[in-house]
Amino acid sequence: MNNSTPLTEALFYILLSLRKPNHGYGIIQEVSEMTDGRVTLGPGTLYGAINSMLTKGWIRLYSEDKDSRKKKEYLITNTGKEIFQNEVKRLNELLNNAKKMNE
Amino acid sequence: MVRFRLYYDKDAETNWLNKMCNSGWAFMKFFLGFYFFERCEPGEYIYQIDLLDRPVEEMDDYVAFMEDAKVQVISQWWKWVFLRKNASDGPFELYTDAESKITHYTKIKNLFQALLILELACFFTELFCAITTKSYLLGMLTGLLFAISLAILKVVWKCKWKIEQLQSENHP
Repeated sequence: MNNSTPLTEALFYILLSLRKPNHGYGIIQEVSEMTDGRVTLGPGTLYGAINSMLTKGWIRLYSEDKDSRKKKEYLITNTGKEIFQNEVKRLNELLNNAKKMNE
Repeated sequence: MVRFRLYYDKDAETNWLNKMCNSGWAFMKFFLGFYFFERCEPGEYIYQIDLLDRPVEEMDDYVAFMEDAKVQVISQWWKWVFLRKNASDGPFELYTDAESKITHYTKIKNLFQALLILELACFFTELFCAITTKSYLLGMLTGLLFAISLAILKVVWKCKWKIEQLQSENHP
């Protein structure tokens, strides 16, 4: 899908924090730690993003704790990894071109 | 304590609930314009209001997700949900980037647009009846429906304005 790049910052960091199984609040915390608190995902933003990425097949449900009915865990799919790598490629291009400023 | 209010604008409603909480009244339940409050420490909670676009069957999923993020779903009215978080658990914003805010306000705008069409259909039917029967009561009802249509139109405009605002901030 060409319309998936550039990724929004929220989608980029959600995909990154789903490289291993993670649940809602875990994603919010990890993204906040990775960015020193700069990117704080609101629960509404995260809920919408997770549902839309599930529909697109970028992530999948990893596990569901039936006892507590809480903590659904999600994991990135191969499609999701591809989308992420395409974005990294685009970002690298930006960074490499940016170096020209100091040449 | 119970208060009766008619809100069309969910942002104004959220502000009111937070103001009430700051003066020591915690919102507990909503029913047909009635808001039920209980005593609380001033500023104990932060309130937000969300509009669900997922099927109602997924409500459990939504509630569990919010609980995981330390957010309580305290009352629901049709697709509207009232949420709150302990202020001691940090700030509480539902939507934190332009994209999700645009999606949120688009959902609200579409809902009120559909309502507006329905209201206008009722209004013109009433107007027609009022004119043909020359009934004073029907005339008053027509006026009421007109006022409601205007209120709904205001929400649609406000959402449109907010979406345009967000879009221009995002893509200058």
